[in-house]
Amino acid sequence: MPLSLSYLVKRVAWSITVIVGVVVLSYLIIILSPGDPAVKWAGHPRGPGAAKAVEQARKELGLDQPLHTQILNFLRMVFTGDLGLSIAYRQPVYDVLWRNLAATLELLLVAYAIGVPLGSFLGVFAALRRGKRVDGVLQAIGTVFANTPTFWLGLAIFMALLPSGFTAYGRVNVSLALSTGFYTITGLYLLDALLQLNFPVFVDALNVSLALSTGFYTITGLYLLDALLQLNFPVFIDALIRLLPPALAVAAYPVGVCLRIGRTLMADALLEEYVRAAAAWGVKRRTIVWRYAFRAALPGLVQVSGLAFAYSLVDAMVVEYVFGREGLGRLLYDAVSVNDFRLAIGLLVIVAAFYLIVNTLADIAQALIDPRVRL
Amino acid sequence: MRRGVLLAGIVAAVVAAAVLAYFFVYLPSQQRGKIKVVVYAYLDRITGIDPSIEDDTGIPVIGVVYETLVRYDPATGDVVPVLAESWEHSEDGTLWTLRLRRGVVFHDGTPFNSTAVKLSIERAKGIYEKFGRGSGYIWSSVEEVEIVDEYTVNIRLSYPTRLDLMAAAIYSAYIFSPSALAKAGVDSPLDPELESWFNQGNDAGSGPYYIEYYSPESEVRLRKFEKWWGWSLVNNPDAPDVVVIKIMTDPLSQYNGLLAEEVHIASSVPRANVGDLASRGFKVLNVTLFHNYLLLFNIRRYPTNITSFRLAVIHAIPWEELVQVALRGFGRVGKGLIPHGFPGYDERLAYKYDLTLAREYLQESGVPKGTTIEFVYQGEYEENEAFAQLLKSRLAEIGITVELKPLPWIAVKDAGKAVWEDADRAPHLIISDWWPTIPSPYEFLALLHSTNTEWNWAGYNNAEFDELLDKAYELEGEDYELALQLYARAQKMVFDEGVAVNLWDEVRPFVVSSRVDLPEDALNPLYIYVIRFELVKVRD
Repeated sequence: MPLSLSYLVKRVAWSITVIVGVVVLSYLIIILSPGDPAVKWAGHPRGPGAAKAVEQARKELGLDQPLHTQILNFLRMVFTGDLGLSIAYRQPVYDVLWRNLAATLELLLVAYAIGVPLGSFLGVFAALRRGKRVDGVLQAIGTVFANTPTFWLGLAIFMALLPSGFTAYGRVNVSLALSTGFYTITGLYLLDALLQLNFPVFVDALNVSLALSTGFYTITGLYLLDALLQLNFPVFIDALIRLLPPALAVAAYPVGVCLRIGRTLMADALLEEYVRAAAAWGVKRRTIVWRYAFRAALPGLVQVSGLAFAYSLVDAMVVEYVFGREGLGRLLYDAVSVNDFRLAIGLLVIVAAFYLIVNTLADIAQALIDPRVRL
Repeated sequence: MRRGVLLAGIVAAVVAAAVLAYFFVYLPSQQRGKIKVVVYAYLDRITGIDPSIEDDTGIPVIGVVYETLVRYDPATGDVVPVLAESWEHSEDGTLWTLRLRRGVVFHDGTPFNSTAVKLSIERAKGIYEKFGRGSGYIWSSVEEVEIVDEYTVNIRLSYPTRLDLMAAAIYSAYIFSPSALAKAGVDSPLDPELESWFNQGNDAGSGPYYIEYYSPESEVRLRKFEKWWGWSLVNNPDAPDVVVIKIMTDPLSQYNGLLAEEVHIASSVPRANVGDLASRGFKVLNVTLFHNYLLLFNIRRYPTNITSFRLAVIHAIPWEELVQVALRGFGRVGKGLIPHGFPGYDERLAYKYDLTLAREYLQESGVPKGTTIEFVYQGEYEENEAFAQLLKSRLAEIGITVELKPLPWIAVKDAGKAVWEDADRAPHLIISDWWPTIPSPYEFLALLHSTNTEWNWAGYNNAEFDELLDKAYELEGEDYELALQLYARAQKMVFDEGVAVNLWDEVRPFVVSSRVDLPEDALNPLYIYVIRFELVKVRD
């Protein structure tokens, strides 16, 4: 087993330190910046009793306590997993976070599914043509993609699409999602309802208003998956065509990084003696490339992909704002702007935890793939 | 080779399936429009939907899901029946009898009756008295709500007020079903758990739409309530089946949403883009709201403590240019302190732009040229910034330097309130935007009442003015006309002294897609951002 107990202990200790640092720093920044969360919590009271309401709100939020007590209390809330109600929305922080996390994750996963294989493939392609013009062009593309600000790229894609009449705005066409809960495929209502897993309509196939009112609904929050689960193809296609442009913008970074690193690792691997020996033995070129050389490059690529995945989360949070999609990016911006420290810090803790988990998983994956690595 | 062919075949099949699905499933489904949906783009995140407490951004939801006893009619300045069918009051104005509408049911099927009215009023009042939250102070004159029978209530007041106007308030006047208490698992209506229950997206209203999905940071979905009592009266078969209130906090996103046909009604597109949308066939409904921007002078600090200096500043304001250029036409020149169309509005209380007169006032004041004054305003509003630049340039022409201090809202408020503690620390000029809770002139004039240290940022303390206001407020229930006369005298007093001026009334352009017909009646300047969707028509 390439994993040791001391590695795990060190990782956990490091992760806790990072989370504490994130909480303390963000708490101080938000609390000491202009604006009073108590006013928001009290509902921006305007009546003659406004001062009383704000005072009461300050007590309820614990803001009347000394700063160090506030921070300790808040750390306790974070580590017991109860961040209470969001100041802006008066709903449990984790409920609000989950609704938006799914939206960002969906964008990130699709971008990653496009970016990493494409970047890796192009890296291998460039390495196989090392020194030729196509290698130079691909390396230049990799540099540009890895360094282009994603916000700018997202905006450029959006603006390019706008004049053509095709807009990728929002996550799904609300009217479409509401009106395609049940739709006719064969004309046989029972069969159609069954095909779409629409059980309410299956049970009461003649109830038209029921058929209309069972529109697309969220199950996991990942719209593509939800639409598939409901066999709701119109919504699936609509969600997909809205997802692709922002996903391409987010995919630029993993494409660039994987292309450049993949090309370097692969080029090095192709110069190894075992590759030359295999070629001398008459092993097929495809086998040499993918089974020997690429396998040697894989651990490095996994490590880089892990980092790129975590980095792309921030990109996704920015790009979703440009494309009018809900998600963590917009949520964070809104939370900070109204001093909702509970929601903002809860979100930052999730992002930090995401980084830590992905990095750890990348380490573990590397150790599993590469027998020389021991953790 | 064989594997390559197979792979190519699979890719071709997937592409072909996608193309077929796009043309034969997706496109037809887009045109089908089985149900009538209206998407309303709204600028703010929803802060809460408790009908007794919420007095912030939740009103566009509450105003559709809940109903008040009466509704303010801006055309007549009076109220029209909603849940109360008729009402009368005793001669001294302290006992009001309300006869309630029969046959009304809440969304959960519970019948509406006197118990709901008593509970709703007492909860709003009680929460305000206990926690200072919400706008339950509108019921402060209510001594007792007595149930006479299932559809009649007597409301006893401790002093005469226009209870009908109070009941038409934008906040804390909504009636909810008593069944909410049991559903929330509470015994007392003041239990904070009831507020949490509402804010989870639960509703207990009787309005034409009920809450189907509530995500306050992104979207609220409302569905038509078929058992609403008013459908036969509005007679609108084209009313939307579903209303989606979409939170779009960036004005540009609302513009993009309209172009993408994702949004049908937008409340806040960038002003610069309104003309473009109109030229593309969108309908623009300009609504003058009861929301104005007031310039207050610090009358406890030199030189704004000198009346003629204040009048010099006021006469250096280029009023028409302010509205036409700085506000791009989306405003009306302010008069007195009260906005257009609101009770107590006085057309005659207007200043003119006259730099010669301004110089005369300045000379009369004895304030030397080159004097610097501080001007604080909320920096997030582009209109404020535009006005600040205009004022600075005009005052420079008469020799007054203005130091501009754009600040966030909370800092503006702190700066304004400081006038009562240390007037020299408070700015000379400050902008406050205001909108009313109830349709009474008191709402705007009380901004200068000496007891209102929270919002009276001028530091104005005039016993005669206070007395006129208090007397007028008490007279509203007995002799409304006389009360209006007293309010007019009070307003004239501050106009002559130049203590505070209404710079402009907000004109908000609601941009509407050609698929939707939004009648003017569906918007009411008192209930800002609330749309009466039961009057909206959706075209196929």
